[in-house]
Amino acid sequence: MAERTATLTLVTCTSCGKPIPPGTEATKFLCPNCGEILIRRCAKCRKFGRLYKCPKCGFAGP
Amino acid sequence: MSDDEEIKDEKFGKEEETTSVSIEEELLLPRDTLLSAGIHIGTRMKTRDTELFIYRVRPDGLFVLDVKKTDERIRVAAKFLARFEPSKIAAAAARLYAQEPVRKFCEVTGAIPVAGRFIPGLLSNPLYPNRIEPDVLIVSDPRADSQAVREASSVGIPVVALCSTDNEFSGVDLVIPTNNKGRRALAVIYWLLARQILREKGELAPDKDLPLTIEDFEAKISREEEGG
Repeated sequence: MAERTATLTLVTCTSCGKPIPPGTEATKFLCPNCGEILIRRCAKCRKFGRLYKCPKCGFAGP
Repeated sequence: MSDDEEIKDEKFGKEEETTSVSIEEELLLPRDTLLSAGIHIGTRMKTRDTELFIYRVRPDGLFVLDVKKTDERIRVAAKFLARFEPSKIAAAAARLYAQEPVRKFCEVTGAIPVAGRFIPGLLSNPLYPNRIEPDVLIVSDPRADSQAVREASSVGIPVVALCSTDNEFSGVDLVIPTNNKGRRALAVIYWLLARQILREKGELAPDKDLPLTIEDFEAKISREEEGG
């Protein structure tokens, strides 16, 4: 019987760069300044108010 | 005074004039209006998160916010909020002085007001009949509106918050550094935000103002209520 494998690509947090597991209290939104880059923040980075930076326009939040 | 000196003085005078005009043009409202409303007044407490937005400390220990950064953030927040459908924006205000500004803001922009007590489950309980499902949440004070911030985090929607020097950025995705306790300051901030959102959407010309004034946005508290 052939084995079936599935690859799951996890998106990464803009602040810490770690993969965001599905079902967590993460959020995603377009960069407030340029509106072109999708910013993703994991639950931990949101909780601790860690900085995020838009790779395109350089806007730093929160 | 010689003629040369007079010419120099005139030149310097003109330069000063042009610089003061250009600074005023950069801000959404004249600096004096913003300062008289007290949007730069913080508290005697400071958190590490808000250090970036603090301009100076007054001799009496009061932390003062940078008006330029507040102005910049209002523009960014308006740009951000203008990308959402008005009916998908919710604005929460637990503070008494923030309730009227939020109601007026929602009246002008078409957002959903949540003034007064934030009923637990309003965002996160699927069984609650009056549940709302916004795509973005605005809070007037992350500490006073902690329930709203917590629920926004659990449903995964971004949070825009008005933060003073004593607030932490926990659960907040976009901060507008301002005085979030003053009656006049809250009215000015919400008025500016509403005007800027409409301008970003193209519903209001860049040189036009809202039909409502800042005074209309201000909370009207009767003396009996104020006295407790």
